[in-house]
Amino acid sequence: MSKRFSLLFVLMLALGLLLVACGGETTETAVEPTTAPAEVAAPTEAPAAEPAMEEVTLRWRTRPDNQAEIDVYQSVSDELSSTLEGVNLEYEAGGSETSSYQDVLKTELGAGTAPDVFWIPGTDIADFATRGLIMNLRDMATATTGYTDADFYPGPMYHLTFNPETGNTGETLWGLPRDVSTFALYINLDLLAESGAPDPRELAANGEWNWDSFIEVATAINNLGDDIYGYGQNAWWGPYGYWINAAGGGFFNEDRTACALDTAESLAGLEFEQRIYQEFNVAVPYGEDSEPPFLAGKVGMFQNGRWATPGTRSSANFNWDVVELPDGPAGPSNWLFWGAYVVNANTQHPEEAWKLVQALTTADVQGKIASLGANVPSRVSQAALDSFLTYTPPANNQAFLNGLANNPATEGPLWAGNWPEFDAVMGPAVAAVLNGEMTIDDYAASICNEANKVFNP
Amino acid sequence: MTAATVGSREKQSPESGVDLWLRLVMIWHVILGLGSLGGIAYVWAGADLADWVKILVSVALGLTAVASIVAVNDINGRKHRGRTISLAVNYLGFLVAFFGSLHRIGVFTGIDSLADSFLQGLPFLILVFAGFFIGTLTDRYQKPATQRALKQTSKAMMIVAGIAFLLAVGIHNGILVLLGKLTNPVILLMVVVTAVFGLMLWAMWRQPSAEAMNATNADNEMLSGYLFLSPNLLGFLFFFAGPLLLSLYVSFTNWDAFGTKDWVGLANYGRIVNIDVARLNTITQLASEAIDVTVYDELTRFEIFGKSYIVGAQDKLFWLSLRNTLTFVLLSVPLSVIPALFLSNLLNSKIAGMKFFRAVYFLPSVAAVVGIALVWQWLFNATIGYINYFITVMVDFLNSVGGSFFDPQIRWLSDSNTALLAVVIVAAWQWMGFNTVLFLAGLQNIPRSLYEAATVDGANSWQQFWKVTLPLLAPTTFFVITTTTIQAMQIFEQVFILIPTNPAGPNNSTLTLVLYLYQKGFQRFEQGYASAIAWVLFVIIFGATLFQFQRQRASGSSYDA
Repeated sequence: MSKRFSLLFVLMLALGLLLVACGGETTETAVEPTTAPAEVAAPTEAPAAEPAMEEVTLRWRTRPDNQAEIDVYQSVSDELSSTLEGVNLEYEAGGSETSSYQDVLKTELGAGTAPDVFWIPGTDIADFATRGLIMNLRDMATATTGYTDADFYPGPMYHLTFNPETGNTGETLWGLPRDVSTFALYINLDLLAESGAPDPRELAANGEWNWDSFIEVATAINNLGDDIYGYGQNAWWGPYGYWINAAGGGFFNEDRTACALDTAESLAGLEFEQRIYQEFNVAVPYGEDSEPPFLAGKVGMFQNGRWATPGTRSSANFNWDVVELPDGPAGPSNWLFWGAYVVNANTQHPEEAWKLVQALTTADVQGKIASLGANVPSRVSQAALDSFLTYTPPANNQAFLNGLANNPATEGPLWAGNWPEFDAVMGPAVAAVLNGEMTIDDYAASICNEANKVFNP
Repeated sequence: MTAATVGSREKQSPESGVDLWLRLVMIWHVILGLGSLGGIAYVWAGADLADWVKILVSVALGLTAVASIVAVNDINGRKHRGRTISLAVNYLGFLVAFFGSLHRIGVFTGIDSLADSFLQGLPFLILVFAGFFIGTLTDRYQKPATQRALKQTSKAMMIVAGIAFLLAVGIHNGILVLLGKLTNPVILLMVVVTAVFGLMLWAMWRQPSAEAMNATNADNEMLSGYLFLSPNLLGFLFFFAGPLLLSLYVSFTNWDAFGTKDWVGLANYGRIVNIDVARLNTITQLASEAIDVTVYDELTRFEIFGKSYIVGAQDKLFWLSLRNTLTFVLLSVPLSVIPALFLSNLLNSKIAGMKFFRAVYFLPSVAAVVGIALVWQWLFNATIGYINYFITVMVDFLNSVGGSFFDPQIRWLSDSNTALLAVVIVAAWQWMGFNTVLFLAGLQNIPRSLYEAATVDGANSWQQFWKVTLPLLAPTTFFVITTTTIQAMQIFEQVFILIPTNPAGPNNSTLTLVLYLYQKGFQRFEQGYASAIAWVLFVIIFGATLFQFQRQRASGSSYDA
């Protein structure tokens, strides 16, 4: 075969592929929903359809926890695409094992290729808002009949309506919460029964579930064998934050403008947690991922959020349930974790994006996601909570709701400083204490000197 | 008309054609020059662009204008320099206009979705390859008729299957979309400009133009050389040198990747190197009593000659990451080079199955870092990982036969004393195979006669290795050490994947320089500061490499010896 023919043929083929790529943008669109469009239970009056409105395409993204969630979000997107008049939706599942959701999103924001609507964790709201990356939706919300901030839990809404310029809340609207979650202790009931320890669920029902009884149960389970652990948590701010909060302490002072990690209460909470690792010696070593050994049946109590439920349902080959976190010296404590759908400040279609944010946070959509077990609806609605209780296992879903009811500390951004920097100072120092590499006194002497530098002058 | 006149016309006709093309090229350059000047005026008069973009565009357009004017003058005087300049300008212009057109048409985003339809055309593409394969069989047959038949069958099959492939993946849709987009005046203009650049490029490249411009063989060879070099050269300039210079500029700003870049001079570098050393009354004295803790964080404290000192740093994490990186280099380079040296000597022997083992040892080098790190993550798990499991099994066995050993239950990734070591193990394991192959190549270049002579002289295996192999392998050893050191200085992926929830590791023990600059730039919105760290790292790597080169020269066996 002549070289000339081969060269010409390859060139024509390459040119042909370029031509095919010309039509690429249009071949992806117009995906028909596979199921009949469901009526959107609008939180507010459904956005009025504008006659003869030109169809716009909106890209939106969440961080799903598993393939089942991706499928549900995709079907939700398809349904809304046909329900929202004049809007064509393209759903993107963000994040993977090796590419951090936030890192990718931030890079895309820098490059100007981020989606129109996306989800971010509550701790990121301040950073995104103060840098002008997300849109203030307040004016559109005010003009939307039936919309009210009070439909959602006040904790997240405090931060989502915070105005960094005036320091007042209720003045802006940076997004709407996708869902909420709290911590619970996932219990291996088989290990519990084998240990003969009292059932934490009964202790909780009797008001006897506190740090002392927690240690009693954890020790009993831990004594079952060298490779069995009474308790496990993962190494990030949420788990150790509970111990600090439950002792009456906290990360920040009252108005979140300075570090409070060195107060007597905060130190007491951290010291107790240090004893769990160094004195009682009943926990999976701090820094090790506790989920694999828990799912392997080697951990009695695993502290994690609702998002761990799907994995436990699919992987645990033992009897399990959940119980609320034990009461600390300052009473019941928990976190209220949340994340929000926000609108890209550079979107070309803010009105449509706002409609999408509303549609994605309806009770109907939240119910569909919550039924998979990964989270709790963010709407203050008894119907939503009643519905949530039916999404079993675990049987004791009430434990998560009790966490919500007991005045949890709200996961929150740091409007007066830089949360990632604060976390970068706090995390290693706490880890050093829990691993026995630093004394509480040394920690107390230095932690806030370092952490206070991340606050705005 | 006389025969002489006709002959004269036939002779003059090609020259007239060349003249016409050259005139067209000159006219094009005049238009291009004026257009470039007009573009500069527009950029500064009305375009909504950042200042640095305006400057960049103005420089590019200004260079185009100047080059065009020079080209017109030289082409008019039939100086070959004019042809060279014209070719360069039109070649670059063609590339810019071509890729700009593709971008405006949406080809680059369309390529993403091509993956969806590509599978539909795959059977036809296989037929194309089958047709090509048939074409390669022609040489096996002697009869011309058979050869011809095979060739025609091959061509027909490839053409039909090729067309079917393009139809299957949706070329008809692409053509319709393209035609639709060509109604957009901007896109149409860009396509026309691309075509004109291409036409002028062809006009100046062709042989008659070259002859008219008095091109020598050396000129043509030079132009061909640059043409072949251009993909790499342009790629280097646009995707390496350009970003490199941009990062240098960014390092002098407080850019957060989104807002404006405010010039801060050397402030970022100052923050990196700002340390304070103070004397302590006792080694346990509070840091706040010795250094300004509103500026400095305690980095370390030490005793020397009976006196205690404290070192504070404005950016403690930079110094910690530098310490970790250097420790990593000191451990991982020997661990990936020395075993590779001995392994290559083993693999250099000619015994059965050696090629298999060479492939096995090379496998980690070609495996994806992410996959490797995920596997090691599970192996290192302190509670259910296989490494600790086997250690426990071994300890139990030894104890069962009368030993008295303690099961260490090593917390590979969660203990600040072992986390970096775990990363070293993974990296050394991965790099060792590649280094082995390099050493193997070096060993195979050592003449056998030297070993034979050494054997005759009575040298044993160890003496041969020490006196013959090592000295003659010095250039390879130098290359391996240098490249491995550079690689180790830039360690990132292994750490990032190995400890996904907290790559910095327990007590920041696996925080390396590249990881730190990644965190600063992409997670904490400090692109300016991250760029400054990157340049400090560059200086460190450059210095280390320079040092190695000097050591190599001093030892008398340079790499190219």
